[in-house]
Amino acid sequence: MAHERDDHEDILLAPIERTGPGFYWAVAFLSLLILWGAIAYSVQYTQGLGVTGLHQPVGWGFYVTNFVFFIGISHAGTLISAILRLSKAEWRRPITRMAEVITCMVIFIGAGQILVDLGRPDRMMNVLHHGRYQSPLLWDATSISAYLMASLTYLYLPMIPDIAILRDRLSKRKLFYSVLALGWTGTEHQQRVLNRAIAIMAVLVIPIAVSVHSVVSFVFSMTLQPAWHSTIFGPYFVVGAIFSGIAGLIVTMIIFRKAYGLHYYLKPIHFRYLGQLLLIMALLWFYFTFAEYLTGYYGAEPEEMKVFWAKFSGPFSPFFWSMVLCNFVIPLLCLTSLRQHTVGKVLFASLAIIIGMWLERFVIVVPTLSYPRLPFPEGVYAPTWVEWGETAGSVGLFALFYLLFTKFFPIISIWEMREGREKSVREVEERILTYLPGEVAEKP
Amino acid sequence: MEYQPPVSDRLIRRLQWIWVGGAFLLVGGFIAWIVHLIVASWRLDDVIQASVGISIVAIPIFLVFMGVIFYVFWGVTLHGRKRED
Repeated sequence: MAHERDDHEDILLAPIERTGPGFYWAVAFLSLLILWGAIAYSVQYTQGLGVTGLHQPVGWGFYVTNFVFFIGISHAGTLISAILRLSKAEWRRPITRMAEVITCMVIFIGAGQILVDLGRPDRMMNVLHHGRYQSPLLWDATSISAYLMASLTYLYLPMIPDIAILRDRLSKRKLFYSVLALGWTGTEHQQRVLNRAIAIMAVLVIPIAVSVHSVVSFVFSMTLQPAWHSTIFGPYFVVGAIFSGIAGLIVTMIIFRKAYGLHYYLKPIHFRYLGQLLLIMALLWFYFTFAEYLTGYYGAEPEEMKVFWAKFSGPFSPFFWSMVLCNFVIPLLCLTSLRQHTVGKVLFASLAIIIGMWLERFVIVVPTLSYPRLPFPEGVYAPTWVEWGETAGSVGLFALFYLLFTKFFPIISIWEMREGREKSVREVEERILTYLPGEVAEKP
Repeated sequence: MEYQPPVSDRLIRRLQWIWVGGAFLLVGGFIAWIVHLIVASWRLDDVIQASVGISIVAIPIFLVFMGVIFYVFWGVTLHGRKRED
């Protein structure tokens, strides 16, 4: 490849070439979390779902909350990356890979929650053999499968030139990188093919991502349960997903910026732009939440009001108001002015949003089941150590997958950074000229 | 680029075919599953419209994935290599 070697690229290759003690400490810690999850799951597998806090009428608890939450986080990647790529937002270059990896890893974890929730995973075969498309659960399975395939393809394609760089530059894993690089040498023809394929996937992935979380919301809104049967649940869930996804992406960026010394690539300006996006999403989230609860309150349907008051002033009020604090008040306070302490403010807001969005999913799933429309007795849900363990294990598994990925592939796209320097500066100048009126603008 | 002996080259090509074949198998598996669900609902006379309605959207999407994967494999690996030769 005819590119000048940039000394700073060594920073991106360093985690692949060398492994420091920090990596082993992180793996050890995450392994402990995973072990806790594995023990919890093995207890549940052998003794049944009775060891969890799930019962009648609250049959969905932490697992379904985690499922909705993780699938929401998955919107960090492919969707945000695709939108930024298609809108030619040049500041995306050091961000997209990190975002896309989050998506791929977290979809596996999210989908896995359903297996855990089944109690008996062998019953998954019933879905494969005897599934019925009348059930929104099957729509979910289909759209998540499509999203997974789209995200994997969309992650892999832009990685091909980077894998070729690793193949040519590293002395280890030659065969592995040679296979995955698909014989990439960076010819004009190869570049054209790859750019076209990435563009197709970027266009395709946006409606798929939107459909995924809409369909996840349909699992709730297609029922006649109080506080679930809502026409705005689709966009409400999509907004929440993008909101939590951006927060997840920011936290990941800050962790790896610190751990791998990526300050040269991930600058405060990136966090400022993402922080502004986050603020917009916080306002949108508040709008949807307000609209959702106002219409329910105004209708004053008795069963709906039971759930409403359980959230506002009843047993679920600590979770509900913590959600409002984390998803709206803290982001608003932190993100309205990002001139100083940008990274710290954005990190604090993002951590609050991750907690707040998990609470939001919990507040949607559990209260409605605790106060069912049908004449079941009301129930209180209290998770046991099994559910806590499984949740900790899932987070640990996601973090470990992510960490391992960074040991095999650069977490920031090397070729896209090169392209940014070599071509895009000129292209952006020419593009801006075309936006402006006058003959000069027409010229390029 | 470091010189690779011919045996290694052959191995790489074979593994690349397996890699792409695996991707095809995965995507094809999803299509086969959706078709199976249509057949099952047809056999059971169980509201086939729902299955067909969703399949009309889902199957073409999976076919596009297959198309993109093949296009990249053909354009980068096969055609790209031929042009180089």
